Amino acid sequence: MSRYLLLFLLNLPFIIAAILSAITLYKLNRSSLRRVITQVTLWIFVLVGLALAEPIYTWLSSNKLTMTEPLSLFDVVQITAIVIVFYIANRTREKAQVLERRVNDLHQELSIQLSSKK
Amino acid sequence: MGTKPPSLKVCVVIPAYNEASVLGGVIDAVLKTFKETKYSAEVVVVDDASKDNTPQVARKHGATVIEHILNTGVGGATATGLSYAQQNNFDIACTMDADGQHAALDVAEGINQLITQQSDLLIGSRLINNEGMSKVKILGNKGLSLATYALFGVNSTDSQSGLRVYSRKALEQLKWKTSGYEFCSEMLWRAKQLNLRINEYPIRAIYTEYSKAKGQNNWNAVNIIKSLVKRRIMEIFG
Repeated sequence: MSRYLLLFLLNLPFIIAAILSAITLYKLNRSSLRRVITQVTLWIFVLVGLALAEPIYTWLSSNKLTMTEPLSLFDVVQITAIVIVFYIANRTREKAQVLERRVNDLHQELSIQLSSKK
Repeated sequence: MGTKPPSLKVCVVIPAYNEASVLGGVIDAVLKTFKETKYSAEVVVVDDASKDNTPQVARKHGATVIEHILNTGVGGATATGLSYAQQNNFDIACTMDADGQHAALDVAEGINQLITQQSDLLIGSRLINNEGMSKVKILGNKGLSLATYALFGVNSTDSQSGLRVYSRKALEQLKWKTSGYEFCSEMLWRAKQLNLRINEYPIRAIYTEYSKAKGQNNWNAVNIIKSLVKRRIMEIFG
């Protein structure tokens, strides 16, 4: 199997999961339209980049625009790890934002409710 | 037989942190001023987890006190106060500083202006007539207003003013995410996004030694701008 194909197949599930997650959050009214557009565009950009990695490399090297070695197995693992970390970081940020908003709302509501009981 | 029209319910929100020494005077002045107007006013002090006896002083002087369990910053305290006003069906709310920087008469005038101008958010600008303000303060405030315009496209002469008046519509719709001093600029941005009518009116800033010591340091402007830039970038990603 081509290493480029392996790279694409390894990353595909994470990219699909990220796109689905962004769309689901929007459909459940937990995210804004702007956010879903940005997220989907970003992940599609990554997907297209991975899908076209081989022709891009071939074009760059044939035009002497890069002197790098062809894709190694280590590169495949490294790029996949970067995509996974990016996916996790994005999810964590989303969760942290939701949690922060909930804590703020809870604190605000609690303060008002307690003051009315005094 | 004529009946007296019901007066508008006004909520004067005062976010306070360690202001026990001056807060009593501020509350007294507001209550006295509003007694002479056609509005029925309630003063709500949001104590942002003060270490002194701010809540006790506020209660003693006749204010409703909401005590924060944790210190959140002036933006968080203002949000709590306005949420209280919204939940308790006030027609108009206004916010003012607890350090005695704002004159109670300017608060009452703000309510008149809000009704006359049919605004949703009215900002009491200290810079339309900046008499008594130090050059350093003028520079700091102008810089932050410029940053607010550059980042959010909202043109205000005094984007950091704590004296603001809100219509019922603004109370129901206006929400912001920052909790520090940067909320002043973010609030204007959110109001613009909601197509609320934003206007300004001139106020007089009263600078005492106390309010000068308590006021924002110009270096804090750097932190505010940093936070606003971050918020602006985050907004691009949703």
